[in-house]
Amino acid sequence: MRVIWLIALREYIENVRTRGFWLGVLLIPVIFAGIFLFSARLAENAPVRHYVLIDQSGQYEEAVASAIRREHQRRILQSFTRYIQQYRRPDADLPSVSADQASSQIDRFLNDAGSQEIATLDQWLSNGGLDNARQMAEPYLRDDAPPFEAPREQFVAVPPPEPVDPTASPEQIVEQMRPWLNDEQRLRVDGESVRLFALILIPDGVEEQIMVPGSEGLQPRAEGEGVQFWTGNLTDTRLPNAIEASINRNIREQAFAERGIDVSAVQNIQRMRLPLTRLDPGQEEGEESVSMADTFRQWAPIGFVYLIFISLMQSVQYLLSNTIEEKSNRIIEVLIASVTPNELMMGKLVGIGMSGITTIIAWLLSFFVFIRLYQSVETAMIAQVLDVLLGSDLIPWFIFYYLSGYALYAGIFLAIGSLCNTLKEAQSLMMPLMLILIIPIISMGFIAQDPNGTLARVMSWIPLFTPFSMMNRAAAQPPVFDLIGTSLLLLASVVLVLWLSGRVFRQGVLRTGQPPRLLELWRMMRARPS
Amino acid sequence: MNDPVLSLQDVTKTYGDFTAVSEVSFSIPHGSIYGFLGPNGAGKTTIIRMILDILRPDSGQIAVLGHDSAMAVRNRIGYLPEEKGLYKKMKVWAIISYFASLKGLDRKTAKRRAHELLEKYGLADFAEAKVESLSKGMGQKVQVISAIAHDPELIILDEPFSGLDPVNQEVLEQLIRDIASEGRTIIFSTHIMQHAERLCDRLLLITGGRKIFDGTVSEARSIIPRRVTLQTATDITHLQSLPGVLAVHRNEEEDDAGEPTWDLHLEEHSDPQSILRLCFEQNMALTRFDYTRASLHDVFVHLVGHDAGEQTFR
Repeated sequence: MRVIWLIALREYIENVRTRGFWLGVLLIPVIFAGIFLFSARLAENAPVRHYVLIDQSGQYEEAVASAIRREHQRRILQSFTRYIQQYRRPDADLPSVSADQASSQIDRFLNDAGSQEIATLDQWLSNGGLDNARQMAEPYLRDDAPPFEAPREQFVAVPPPEPVDPTASPEQIVEQMRPWLNDEQRLRVDGESVRLFALILIPDGVEEQIMVPGSEGLQPRAEGEGVQFWTGNLTDTRLPNAIEASINRNIREQAFAERGIDVSAVQNIQRMRLPLTRLDPGQEEGEESVSMADTFRQWAPIGFVYLIFISLMQSVQYLLSNTIEEKSNRIIEVLIASVTPNELMMGKLVGIGMSGITTIIAWLLSFFVFIRLYQSVETAMIAQVLDVLLGSDLIPWFIFYYLSGYALYAGIFLAIGSLCNTLKEAQSLMMPLMLILIIPIISMGFIAQDPNGTLARVMSWIPLFTPFSMMNRAAAQPPVFDLIGTSLLLLASVVLVLWLSGRVFRQGVLRTGQPPRLLELWRMMRARPS
Repeated sequence: MNDPVLSLQDVTKTYGDFTAVSEVSFSIPHGSIYGFLGPNGAGKTTIIRMILDILRPDSGQIAVLGHDSAMAVRNRIGYLPEEKGLYKKMKVWAIISYFASLKGLDRKTAKRRAHELLEKYGLADFAEAKVESLSKGMGQKVQVISAIAHDPELIILDEPFSGLDPVNQEVLEQLIRDIASEGRTIIFSTHIMQHAERLCDRLLLITGGRKIFDGTVSEARSIIPRRVTLQTATDITHLQSLPGVLAVHRNEEEDDAGEPTWDLHLEEHSDPQSILRLCFEQNMALTRFDYTRASLHDVFVHLVGHDAGEQTFR
């Protein structure tokens, strides 16, 4: 026991001192924080896109302009919603008179913004937009709230460049505009050279191409029909979507008007809705409604599966390279003269296991520190969710599956390490195992969607996959039979694997030369301890 | 105290068809320096591994410090393997202390011992250095120190001199004498005869997995006759009739200065002075008179013969 502890301690200390270990510990949180901060910054600084609109029909210019205004207002609404969520005064601090009414008003606003964006946007616009919203929200903001900064206009109209004749035929216009569309030439806007994002070309007589269901006009669309939206950027579809929606609304409103239907009545009818509440039968009465935290709790196991996977990968790699180092340096011979192979193996298992746990704790700690330091709507939500998580029964399961999974794979990898003299030799033996390890990661999504389905159940009963699959299912109340059965099978496999690995390890560590063939390996497993 | 530190009885070890060690028996008394000699591939390392219970013999008995298995007394044994290696990233004192603590010293004592020994063998300045920064010889010294740091009663050194420069070989020889003078038993294997000659009380010579000699150094020397080399123009074949002279040969290989060279093989304990006296009486013109005791090297070559070159390497 004492010797195992000594070996474990040395493995741990030496591992923790390597640069690779710290890289692993720091890299994940840095990447995480980086992505988080970067994407937030990116959203704030989305590039301004310049477009040219040539409306030969003379009917839809206003509709397009309003589509773009609306898109801009939508962004303002979004960012204002975030602003309120972030700087809202805690309810208790509200002036008592208006507390009830006020919080319900602002709650309704937030709720609507979350669930019914289009309706809220219409309401927002008809209520006077930002100025009005500011007034409404003002009393409920914290005293230290900075003034709200509206996002910039994202789509800016520019006149067509000089040589282009807006009255020419559509084909000619596109031909003339091609250098700008292909970014071979740049536009001058306010003395700055900017890139053309899109050309919106509405040819004369476009209204004849309106498709009316039930009439003969409904034919397969030919290319270049209708409104033409020319752009080299195929990924940003906000502008074409907004324009299409706006023009179509315009057309429909005209059609309503032609038939003598009250447009505002139609709009109101379109805004009617019956809310849908998601309920969870597993919860106490009165708490069945599915909250954000509940959803997260369902998905959290996936995070844990990833955590097990990454940490396992890191640990077994280290076990392998470390055993091979001892073998190729012949340190193993001194060690084997001092301790039994089993003690050596267990010592390594424990030592590297401890450093794996250290890594996980370091990751979780830095995660906590990050969400404490960097306060925003998202992190506040994550913090809430974490509180839920820490109180749940997922944590004990995670610990169990992590440790047993580690012991299982570490045993196998130690045996491989003991058979090889170089990492190169080890890699060929590792390949099949790595492929096996990838299977639970691939199937993770399917299992999460159908946690008690056939795939999930079958995988749970394969010991190599049990830690991953059962962790994946942990939040979905798997049948007790599965829970206990797979755990027992897993524990039995861990014992068996460690016992067999011990035999292979004992003989492997003194081997020189090529790794053994399968038959020889079988003999090693069956050999009496020498 | 009178029990042997180590004894082997008819120990055999085979690898498949290859017999690495065949029916080797010997025993080592307490407090001696014992040399394992033999050509490459003779089975020295296999015997050492069996002594340490790293390998199990196929047949035969091994008793170490009164026990069947070295594992039972592993804390009383120190071992330096043939192929030397240390953890590259560890500090020198830490590695010595680690091995000592694996051998039963508590961590505090192990650390103190490490620093003491480094001080004693002139490596105190390197205590904090990492192993990878050491030269090969220095690393080997560190490894020898880590083999003895726990104060073992039996120390087994497999090829301790290989890779060391002459100065460091001398340091190591001194270290071995030091330890031996404290009443510890040392076994070392080598194929460099001078070390064995200078250090060993007793020798075990093996080749092809078989023991071919076991005894003291002077017993080994007596295996091949003493020799007197004369260089003279006179024909001296008649000296063969002298008492104590076994044979006289003309040594053509050494006929360098024109005059013939003669080898006289003498009986053990015969007096070379009598030959010299006779030469003077007969007025022989001697250009050279050499009296050499047989070196261990000669014994080795004599016993192992030319088979050594044909050993299967393992």
